[in-house]
Amino acid sequence: MRQSPQQHRLERRRNLSSWLLSLPTMIWLTAFFLIPYFIVVIYSFLSPDIYDVKFEVSLDAYRQIFSGEYLRSFLLSFRLAFYTTLLCILLGFPVAYFIARAGEKLRNTLLIFIIIPFWTNLIIRIFSWRIFLAYNGVLNDTLMRMGLISSPLEIMRTDLAVILVMVYVYLPYMILPLYSTLEKLDFTLLQAAMDLGANEVKAFFRITLPLAVEGIFAGTLLVFIPALGAYLIPQLVGNQRSLYIGQVITYKIKNIPRNWPMASALSLILLLLVAIMLLIMFYLFKRQRRRKWQL
Amino acid sequence: MNRLGRFFKGMNLTVFSLVMVFLYIPILILIIFSFNDAKIITGWRGFTFKYYPLIFQTPAIKEAFFNTMLIAGLSTLISTTLGILTALGLENKKFSGRKAMQGLIYVPLVIPDILMGVSLALLFNFTKVSTGMVTVLIAHVTFCISYTVIVIQSRLEGFDYSLVEAAQDLGAKPSYIFWKIKFPLMMPGIIAAALLAFTLSIDDFIITFFTSGRGFDTLPIYVEGTIRRGTITTINSLSTLMIGFTLFLVVITKRVRKIMISAL
Repeated sequence: MRQSPQQHRLERRRNLSSWLLSLPTMIWLTAFFLIPYFIVVIYSFLSPDIYDVKFEVSLDAYRQIFSGEYLRSFLLSFRLAFYTTLLCILLGFPVAYFIARAGEKLRNTLLIFIIIPFWTNLIIRIFSWRIFLAYNGVLNDTLMRMGLISSPLEIMRTDLAVILVMVYVYLPYMILPLYSTLEKLDFTLLQAAMDLGANEVKAFFRITLPLAVEGIFAGTLLVFIPALGAYLIPQLVGNQRSLYIGQVITYKIKNIPRNWPMASALSLILLLLVAIMLLIMFYLFKRQRRRKWQL
Repeated sequence: MNRLGRFFKGMNLTVFSLVMVFLYIPILILIIFSFNDAKIITGWRGFTFKYYPLIFQTPAIKEAFFNTMLIAGLSTLISTTLGILTALGLENKKFSGRKAMQGLIYVPLVIPDILMGVSLALLFNFTKVSTGMVTVLIAHVTFCISYTVIVIQSRLEGFDYSLVEAAQDLGAKPSYIFWKIKFPLMMPGIIAAALLAFTLSIDDFIITFFTSGRGFDTLPIYVEGTIRRGTITTINSLSTLMIGFTLFLVVITKRVRKIMISAL
């Protein structure tokens, strides 16, 4: 269809106003989101100094990383992200399902209950776990008084404590997207399948789960990726023998002697891993969606 | 319903109840222990109220509170304004910069926070800007923008353009249409975006940690430092007050939402 010159002019004017309206944000994000990454790239090729960087080109950071020095930290972070995501899905799915099938009025109240902890300050919630899990904390105190254990359990400052608190913090991020896909699910499909002779297990795996995949993907995006860069939770409830990659990066930036080239190189590798994870997830997601259309 | 069906229903209810306990036990413990008469993390040592007044007598807490509110207020204002402008710009589906702009908005959301912290810390080092209030503000606006744009944009998506067309047909000026029709209809989205930006800002630790430098503490930074040093006396009671503040916000937003709905 050909446009009249008048229409064309109008469209150009609208395009220009869109540029003008978007420009402030575009400039802001270019200056404070994109450019900083270029500086990270530059810094990763410089030499460390105790407080700062020396502007001398060096490949030491990458050499050290590829000799496998930080492999353990990367693996720890991956393991943490994996377990956290898995446990969030296993716990979050029944919760989201329960809320989605509750009465309409009850649903909003239940959702508020999921959101409140998520609005409570992160550090405060981590701190409360320290009170709960500490060597002479509430859990051990209670268990010992009940006579269930004779000496305190050492849960605080273990990798188990890190996973536990991570699940606690990230669970709402999984429940909310899962809920929003399950809420749209047509439950009469389940009824139909069961009328036709499928049992609950079969109906769940053939209908509910495939239709909820979008929610699982969204939730995984919101849990797995932040979990890869976790610093605060391992720092406050973990131990110094198993350092997660977020801790290593932070120490290299903050602690003296500083090693900013190393922090930069590690950050870039983490960024690369995140990008690869995202590509894999989007690929799986697309494939799944195509399959759904074929059904 | 058969036995298997009842089993599944029972399982969902059980998991839901357990998750509720899991989500709320730490918060309850914190509130109870804010009245505990002990200086370190330990079991129950008797009831006291003495740590509450202490909060208001500690200058560092007052300062951190003031800083937190200042940063949250300003970053909400800036990021919401930028969000409104960008959402209006992206409304035009034929906008030639639409894809680039949307990419720029979505990418920060899928990158771990710590990387934004590191990259900003290095930017401020490279440009020799001394860290403090301004750098924290810049960082907070940067991580809030994506959220404000998306929230306001989603509100505009369901926008009923027949209202604008009707006003045009009746001869209303563009500025009149914007301020009298479009802006009021965008308002719930703007309020939601502002509240989200505000909560994100007061909650942030890691990005502030990388961009604040010495001498400019927000509450999360202050709390973390106190926990690390082990002097936790006021933290329980301070935390309880902060939880109270959150609950207050939840109630307020519900009210605001109701008012907005009834106004439409």
